Amino acid sequence: MNCLDYRRILLSGAGETEAMRGHRVECLSCSDLLKEHAAFEGDLRRALDVPVAAGFADRLVEAMPAAGAAEEPRRNRRRFLAAAAAAAGAIGIGLYAWRGRDDPMAMACIQFVMKDEAKSIMMGAMPRAEAERMLADSLPLERIESIGSIRHIAPCPFGEGTAYHVILMVPQDKVTLLVMPDTPMRSRTRATHDGMYASVVPLRKGSVGIVGASAAVVDSVAGAIAA
Amino acid sequence: MTAGGTDATFEATIRAHAGDLFRYAYWLARNRQQAEDIVQEALLRGWRAFAQLRDRAAVKGWLFSIVRNEFLRLAARDGPAHDNLDAAERDIVDERASPFAMEMRDALMALPASYAEPLALQVLGGFTCAEIAAMLETTEGAVMTRLTRARQALKRLILPAEAKERKGERS
Repeated sequence: MNCLDYRRILLSGAGETEAMRGHRVECLSCSDLLKEHAAFEGDLRRALDVPVAAGFADRLVEAMPAAGAAEEPRRNRRRFLAAAAAAAGAIGIGLYAWRGRDDPMAMACIQFVMKDEAKSIMMGAMPRAEAERMLADSLPLERIESIGSIRHIAPCPFGEGTAYHVILMVPQDKVTLLVMPDTPMRSRTRATHDGMYASVVPLRKGSVGIVGASAAVVDSVAGAIAA
Repeated sequence: MTAGGTDATFEATIRAHAGDLFRYAYWLARNRQQAEDIVQEALLRGWRAFAQLRDRAAVKGWLFSIVRNEFLRLAARDGPAHDNLDAAERDIVDERASPFAMEMRDALMALPASYAEPLALQVLGGFTCAEIAAMLETTEGAVMTRLTRARQALKRLILPAEAKERKGERS
């Protein structure tokens, strides 16, 4: 084993053999090379390890045909997503509503969750009394608490105004609400992006964006708010 | 049988390997949507043939091979969907990665598929050169050469940026 052999095998990623180790402990240059290579491999692994959409495995499982059934496998993505929604109890809602053009406001809600939600949580929560006062005319806290358990609530900049960021735990999952008292909407809108679903629902005053990892959960919360 | 309809063994298989299969499909297609579709289609094919799989210990390599075949089938039908990352997608990945890993990711995007694919199989799938050679229907030596050249190419692409970054940290 010489330095050239050591380098060649190391770069193939095949792992250090006993012969290589024997060379390396005697060779300062190859010892340094190994340290540099370990850092390189760490970055390589992190770069290859692209994030997987939330609930992806669940959706795959739901998309499989029934065991023993003669059913033809569902072949396209629309049916794949529909299976996820149906399995989660979104009977009657269907996927059709999610297939239309993505609404910019609903898409902005998804972008908020992807990029700014963590920052908003880090900034800390607002006092409950203040939250009650601020949301009283649009979406009272009692109404939100009838749907799930509030884990976080705080004001945050959103669009050209202020929204109230609520993290809500519902029986199926976590959802994010963005209550926008100053943003009225005429009708409910939707968007989906990168495995996330958002719906914006009109309120008595303003509107609320609902973001979750499944269409069924978002539809369920939207339905409860609109009821 | 589970609520979703598939049997428990195959469901456990899906749950165990969905992430790695997606990542492999992503580095083949370099497109999230297409990668999800490839994995779904591959698993449907896998589901149909699962009963005939004699060596259940080899299921991971078997599924990776199906994903590869599905990618090739779709690429032949629709053409490649490479290089269509939008800004939001870059941000998702970038949030999780160090600056060097971000440079690495850009460098990976620039690698030819013939280099990136064995790299993904080795690093993500944990397959040996011999196993990769069987999947890619080539020799073990050819795989080792491709893996070595892939890493050399990545280092060439990354090191100037990394050196600049470290120089900036010092000044």
